[in-house]
Amino acid sequence: MTTTTTTYTGEVACVPRAGTLYDCLELILDRGMVIDVFIRVSLVGIEILKIDIRICVASVDTYLRFAEACNRLDLETDTRSKTVPELFGGGGMATGIGKAGAKKAARSVGGRVKEAIGAGGGDSEEDRDEEEGPSRTTTRRRSGTRTAGSRTRTSRRTRED
Amino acid sequence: MATQLGVYVYGIVRAGHRLPFGQNGVGPGTHRIRAVPAGSLSAVVSDAPESLRARRRDLMAHQEMLLALSSGGPVIPMRFGVVAPDESQLVAQVTREESRHTATLERIGDRVEMNVKALPAEDALEPLVREDPQVRRLREEARRRPGYEANLRLGEAVAAALGRRATAAAARALEEFGPLADEVAPGPEVEGCVRNVSFLVPQSRTALFRDRVEECAARNRDRVELRLTGPLPCYSFVAPLTAPAGA
Repeated sequence: MTTTTTTYTGEVACVPRAGTLYDCLELILDRGMVIDVFIRVSLVGIEILKIDIRICVASVDTYLRFAEACNRLDLETDTRSKTVPELFGGGGMATGIGKAGAKKAARSVGGRVKEAIGAGGGDSEEDRDEEEGPSRTTTRRRSGTRTAGSRTRTSRRTRED
Repeated sequence: MATQLGVYVYGIVRAGHRLPFGQNGVGPGTHRIRAVPAGSLSAVVSDAPESLRARRRDLMAHQEMLLALSSGGPVIPMRFGVVAPDESQLVAQVTREESRHTATLERIGDRVEMNVKALPAEDALEPLVREDPQVRRLREEARRRPGYEANLRLGEAVAAALGRRATAAAARALEEFGPLADEVAPGPEVEGCVRNVSFLVPQSRTALFRDRVEECAARNRDRVELRLTGPLPCYSFVAPLTAPAGA
């Protein structure tokens, strides 16, 4: 029998995987020691990362999503429940506009990111990397299938790594 | 060549700190790290890359280098992106602050940073609708007269109520596992989080800390989502201390 020596003892096992970068991004960028007299290379991208791409999920979109989920709830006390298609029958068009608006906002943020990054003239692989922010966020915010166990441990971007 | 672009600084360690092998530094291509001695300390550096941006890959290289360094003893992590013009100026700076850095290394010791973010529990709408009269009322309205405006008002009320519930639950939760930490530092505000707090925890207590957080998260599932990241380099515990009272 081969004995595998693993360095992942109880304590080391929870060393953050690469995937958790998203959840400590602000610490790497905003905390840690600085030596004032050294120019901290002004980094195109930091501001963008911070203003974050997370904003892409516009509030309106969030509100509408909540409302939708809320309306879908089937509380037994409620006897006159309507289905979602019925509910949106009247406001469907408006909702559509709202969503389109949010999408447009997301696109324009993406555009800004692209411009800023493009200005640095980096390689395309990296650029794609940096643009992953918005879609990831959207995915997380929209998914309702997270399990309780995964919440504290995994981040939004675990899969990718 | 290296002097033209300067040196990228990862962190400050005690002299004689064992450096990790084979770990690549920040920047495209190969960037090996080296220790630059500065009195009783060393700065861990690599040649600065030609262009430096907050790329995912480079942020990770910075982070992983610090994690690898941590296995050899306490490390003062630099913020991402610190570049010194050359080694002699770096040595001068580090030496000037030698006693402060030494005290910081002492303070960190064998501790790590554990970061907890608290977010509204978005999946738990049902208890919210049951318990919050305003949300309940707006929901009724939206059902009677469905439309964009009504949905917007409902959604806004839900978002606000989720935030309130999460904030209250997070405050209680932090009191539960906070005492396991030796120090606590509030983190930068993060979009979507109601709390962002870092804890300085002895390495030997990280498993216990994690268990406590997870247990707490499970109990408060319908109010707050607690996300734990760590062990991390002690980013939040190396800033110069504000003058202690009486000093």
